[in-house]
Order: sequence, then structure tokens, then C-alpha cells
Amino acid sequence: MTLPWTAAAAAAVVLTLGLPSGRTSIAFEEIGVKARVAIRHHTRVFKGPYADVLGTFTSGGAAVAVADYDNDGLEDVFLTDSGAGMHCHLLHNDGHLHFTDVTAAAGVGGGNDRNAIVSDALWFDYDNDGRPDLLVARFGTPILYHNERNGTFKDVTAQSGLAAFANTIAVVAFDYDNDGRLDLLFGNYFKPVNLFDLGDPHVLPTDLDNAANGGGVTLWRNAGGGRFEDATARAGLARHTGWTLDVGHGDFNNDGLPDIYLACDYGTDRLFLNNGDGTFREVTAKAIGFDTKKGMNVDVADYDNDGWLDVYVTNITDEYMRECNMLWHNNGDGTFTDVARETGTCETGWGWAAKFGDFDNDGWTDLFVVNGLRSAGPETYIPLMLDMIVKPGVDFSDLRSWPAIGNRTWSGYQRKKLFRNAGGQAFQEVAAAAHVDNDRDGRGIGLGDFDNDGRLDWIQSDANQAALMFHNVTRGAGHWIELKLIGTRSNRDAVGARVTFETPSRTLIREVNGGNGYASQSSTRMHVGLGADAVVRAIRIRWPSGLVERVAAPVDRITTVREGDAR
Amino acid sequence: MMRRLTVWATLAAAAWRIGAGMPQSPADDPSLPRLEAALSSAPDDLRAGNDYRMAIIRTGQYDRALAFFETLATEHPDAANAHLNYGFAYVDKIPTAGSISQVILANRALTEFSRALELRRSWIGYYTRGNSYLYWPKIFDRTRLGIADLEEALRMQQADEAHAYHVRTFIALGDGHWIMDEAEKAKAIWRAGLEQFPDNAALKTRLGATPSALKALINDTYDSSRRVDTNLEELWAR
Repeated sequence: MTLPWTAAAAAAVVLTLGLPSGRTSIAFEEIGVKARVAIRHHTRVFKGPYADVLGTFTSGGAAVAVADYDNDGLEDVFLTDSGAGMHCHLLHNDGHLHFTDVTAAAGVGGGNDRNAIVSDALWFDYDNDGRPDLLVARFGTPILYHNERNGTFKDVTAQSGLAAFANTIAVVAFDYDNDGRLDLLFGNYFKPVNLFDLGDPHVLPTDLDNAANGGGVTLWRNAGGGRFEDATARAGLARHTGWTLDVGHGDFNNDGLPDIYLACDYGTDRLFLNNGDGTFREVTAKAIGFDTKKGMNVDVADYDNDGWLDVYVTNITDEYMRECNMLWHNNGDGTFTDVARETGTCETGWGWAAKFGDFDNDGWTDLFVVNGLRSAGPETYIPLMLDMIVKPGVDFSDLRSWPAIGNRTWSGYQRKKLFRNAGGQAFQEVAAAAHVDNDRDGRGIGLGDFDNDGRLDWIQSDANQAALMFHNVTRGAGHWIELKLIGTRSNRDAVGARVTFETPSRTLIREVNGGNGYASQSSTRMHVGLGADAVVRAIRIRWPSGLVERVAAPVDRITTVREGDAR
Repeated sequence: MMRRLTVWATLAAAAWRIGAGMPQSPADDPSLPRLEAALSSAPDDLRAGNDYRMAIIRTGQYDRALAFFETLATEHPDAANAHLNYGFAYVDKIPTAGSISQVILANRALTEFSRALELRRSWIGYYTRGNSYLYWPKIFDRTRLGIADLEEALRMQQADEAHAYHVRTFIALGDGHWIMDEAEKAKAIWRAGLEQFPDNAALKTRLGATPSALKALINDTYDSSRRVDTNLEELWAR
């Protein structure tokens, strides 16, 4: 049984009935200031002899996380800050694309201590009580806030067992052991050293193409009762010691189990398949091969509607370094083929987050990519870096080897890229026409339908700059369905649920993810564009519990579906 | 179309895996010890070094070649062509390396090319170093150095008897000017080359291309992720 959306926000639902001609132009308006989300992020300023270099290496923590934390039917936003003593921000969606900063009342602003830097954030209902809780990841120990249901949150880190030090830059929630509780996978950049109290300055990558002295990952199993236990070694993930910049999950081999993709800076990405017994097996060599690139982002979607989840990874492709991004087409046989060049999604500068989303509701998943490391003065850092790189015998891991950047620009002022999916075989770059080609130093992208009109909007988080909000004003967008899935036997957030939509034109799959994409978490409310199809022949949900249900949902509506109610 | 695209991409991926240093199973070329022995006895023999490097490329044993040439150049510091081949050995390895390692290899190649020129001024030395500079992104400010070397190579070939391979200088020098946004100088050089080599397709293509096509062509030509053809056999062709 499906439940029509009953929250107050239902009234805000706009039926978007325009039929896509295939020539619909994607269009956005930037409304950050008007919506009151244009809050400036600050990167951490270090003191001491390594201040300059450490500041650059830790400038990735401008994150955005989207969830309806108070269940009022409107997607809310959490924006991180990383400056010393600076507060993060919880922004309550009041409706009509207006947000109110409720951080102080909620009690979730902290985290930027003398010895810790906020780097990422994640909403997830760890205790399945129906209210999203909040995890704040740090270069330091994480903070877990329990949602107290009254607009306030309680710091439960100490009793959670999560208070272990790591230089975490990315985190996703997923139920890797299918026990109905959401677990956590942390991607750690530096190895676990206190960057504020360095005795040994050899903390940077030993090799800029094949480094293995990073922080790897940490897998925290949700043991229930609000407790987490470190399951990294038991799960077979401890041997990975790369410079993890992002972690992503998805069922890549269609066996009903969540698998893992790790994007790593200074060396190869890694792919692990879930064995179904609490362990993973690495399949990097066979599936994707070993690379030497600077992996920044993992997002997962079936971009060509062939029933297999694909992966998009950003790398560095700039005037001085031409790595090319990777769009891993899932061949369905345990291997992936990089089709970034062939599909036109190769070059996005110094890439950070990238998010798949059907922005014109034509049934084909588009892709938005943010980029830019450091936009500063007119001089560029590259020649200085070149001198360092080619110096005979240079030790890259030594902070003292790296020249100070000062006010120089490094891959800055880069234009964002919006790739419109042209039928699953190629993408057309339309950022300028869609009015999203800003040149901020982007980091994260939080997708959500913030006005419940069936068109995906997003918030872009930027390093040392204010966030931007892009309201989707595409005219003539196709039909759509949004599903809010509620797990009962499965985890309440339904992370990992796979939904198959059969329309007269095509079969589409969508999967709920728990925070894929660099420095960002999109809404877990599932959005699917249907193009001109005003009817859907069948909707099948494969819940993480294994239950498969056939449900009905009206087109151009938001519908809540509870696991087990269809029987 | 998807199938065609996927097949193409699979091939590209296979090539990339080779490039990324995936474990290969290079058949040991039994000729390598013989070629190494020949070079050891004639370290300044450019052709012997070329033959050896071509064999190395076939087997993928780039580090073996680098180690060999390092020893050869150390033991015969005055053998200009040993340094030249040593530099080429670094270039040969570039496609197998990551983006940062490529920079390091390219820079080491330049060091060896410069050493070769210090020992003996030669057309091949100036052409090689000048052409190598063109592969460096403009931001590194080395294109001007490349133009200077290629101009020197041009002067040397104009004082020499004509060879078919001399057309390379016109092509590369024009490319250097084009990279420096000196389109008219580039065209003048290409036109001068065409007068001397009227059938040369590369020159005709450049002179007939639209600006956007020319940009794509130059970008493609100096794409550092691709293997540079360092086979010098044209020098000995009749």
C-alpha cells in the first residue's frame, strides 16, 4: 500500500505537466542570498612553519548535507564550516524556498576545535526512530548528534564508540551487513596524525601518483543500542592505505548487496564487492584496473538505463595536468569501462563533487560537477610546484619540501560543468545556458527538491566562499515521481533500496544512497524523471531486507512508501 | 552505437591499463642482451641505441633501459648519443606513468638532451630538445626554449644537404609559434616548409585548417599522455 504525501508541504506540490520535446532547456536561478543559504565557509588557518601547506591540503571541508530532519515534508540543509571556532549551520526549510538558521537552538554548530576541523556531514537515522540523526566528520574525532524530535540534538558521541581519531574527509551510511541498521564508512585522507601537533613533518603523500601512506578507510558497524564497533579489519578493508577522498556505495553486481567504490588522491581507486557475510573482496584489478589519478568524487547511477549502476569519478584535468575524469560504464560482467572521453564528461578542471540527477525529468540522468581548488591572486602556484616536483631527490612527504602558496591561485576561477544526458551515449555541456557556470571554489553538491515541485534543485558548498543555491526553473520538464521510502525490516532510511520503474518508454532503476558524492549528501527521497510518459506500468521495490514489493504511485506526486505495506 | 563506443573504450581502457603499469607479461626479448652488448662497445652509436630502445618498447621493460643507459652514460660521459638515447628512454616510459611522474620523466629527458648538446651540437639534438619543450603545457613557460632550439635546428639544416626528415623542423617550429599565439609566424614557417617539401601532408593540413581544427590538431599532437614516436629510423632511410 502506498501512502499519499500528507505533510503540510503537500500543498506546495506543483504538477509539472509539460511534455519534454527532447529540446527542453535546463535552467536554474541562483537564489542563495534570497533563500538565506549563502553562508560563507572558512578553511582552517594553521599556525607555525607548515601553516601554508597544511592549509592547502585541508581545504576540502566545505560540505552540504540534505535531509528533512523534522519530517515536515520539506528538505532541510546542513552546511559545514572549517574555520577555527566557526560554527556549522543547520538551515530549516520554511517553505517557499526560504530557510532559517536554527543552529543555536538545535545545538549542532560545534566541531571546529583547536585540534579538529569539520570536514563533512551526514544525515542518517542510526537508531531507526524515524528522525534523521547527524554525523559531523572531522580531521579529528567525529561527532554524532541524536535527533531529539523537538528541534534539538544531543551529542551522543561518547556512548557511540565513534570517538576514534582519524583525518576523515568523507563518510557514507549504508547497511553493509543487512541487519537493518545503518553502518558508517569513513574515508580518511591523512594517516591518523594530529595535524596541529606535528613532530615529524613527513605526513604528505610519499608519491604523487602511487601513494599508499594515507588514512585508508574505517568501517563502523552499527551494533544497535546506539553503539558502533570498528569492523574495518574484519570486513577486509584494512589493507587499503590510500589517500581516500571519497567513498561511495551501490549494488554494482545486482546481487542485492551494497558494494563500495573508493576514490583516492595520489593513486589508484579501489572497488570492493560485498560477500554477504560481513566481508568484502577487492576486485579493483579485474573491474577497473589500477590508476594513478587524483580521485575526488564517487557518485553512482545508471546513466544509460541498462539496469546496471555506473560510477563517476572526478580527477584533475587542467592546463598542466591532463588526467581526465572517469565515467565507469558497468559492463554487467564484473568489469567497467571508462567512457568519460567518449561521452564528453572528461574535462572538468580540478574536480570535486559531481552528482547525477535528472534535471529536466526526461528519464535520462544528467550530471553536475563542481571544481576549482583555490581562487586567489593573479600569480599561479604551478611554476613553484614544478620546481619542487623536478628537484632531484625531493621528498614529497616532507611538508618542508612544498613551497608556500601565499596569495597565489591554484586551479582557481574554474567554471562549473553541467552535462545534459543525450540519450545515454553522450552528454552535452550546458552549464552556461543553464546559468550554473559559476567560478566559485566548489566542493559539495546537495541535491533535493526543496520546493516540492518535482524538479531537482541543489545547494553548492564552496571553500572559503559562500554557498550557492540553484533553483530549478526548467520549463517543459517531463513527468516525475518522488518516493519517500521508509524501511521497517530494513534500515528506516531505506538506504540501499532499489526501485525499478517500468514506463511505456523504458525501464529505469534508482537506488537510495547514504551520502555518495564528495563533501555532500543529497536527499534520500528518490526522484525519477519520466519524460513524456504520464503513466508508469509498474514500480518494484527491492528493499535491503530482500523483500520485493510492487507498489503504485501517482505521477507528478510525492508518495511515501512503507516497507511491507504493499502486501 | 553504444556497442561501438564500448568496444572502442574497452580498447582504450586496455591501453590505459598498460599505461598505468598494470602487471603485464612482457616476453623477454632474447635480443636485448645482444643489443646491450653492442651498445656497450659503441656507446655513441645512435642507431644501436635506437634499435635497443625499440626492442625495449616492444617488451615494456622501460626501467631496464633506464638502468642500462644510466650505466652507459656514467661509464662514457663524453658519448653524446648515449645521453641522447638515455633521454629518449625517459620519453619512452612517459605513457606508462602517472601525471606527476610524467613531469619528472620529461624533465629528466630534457636534462639528458641538454647534456648531449653540451657534448656535441647536432641537428637531431636541437630538434629533439626543441620538440620536447613543446609537450610542456604553456603555463610552464618552456615553449620559447623550444622555439629557440628549433630555430637553431633550422639554421643547421639549411647549411646541410637536404633530408626528408628536415620537414619535421618546419612543422614543430610552426607549432611552437602557434602555441605561443603567434599564428602569422606559424603560418610563415609552415609555408616555408611547404615550399621545400610541397607534398607534405602535415604542413598542408595545418595551413588549410580552421582555427578550431588547428587547435584540436595541436592539442592532439602534443598530448603528453600519448606515446611519442621516438624511433629515429628515418635518419637512416634512403
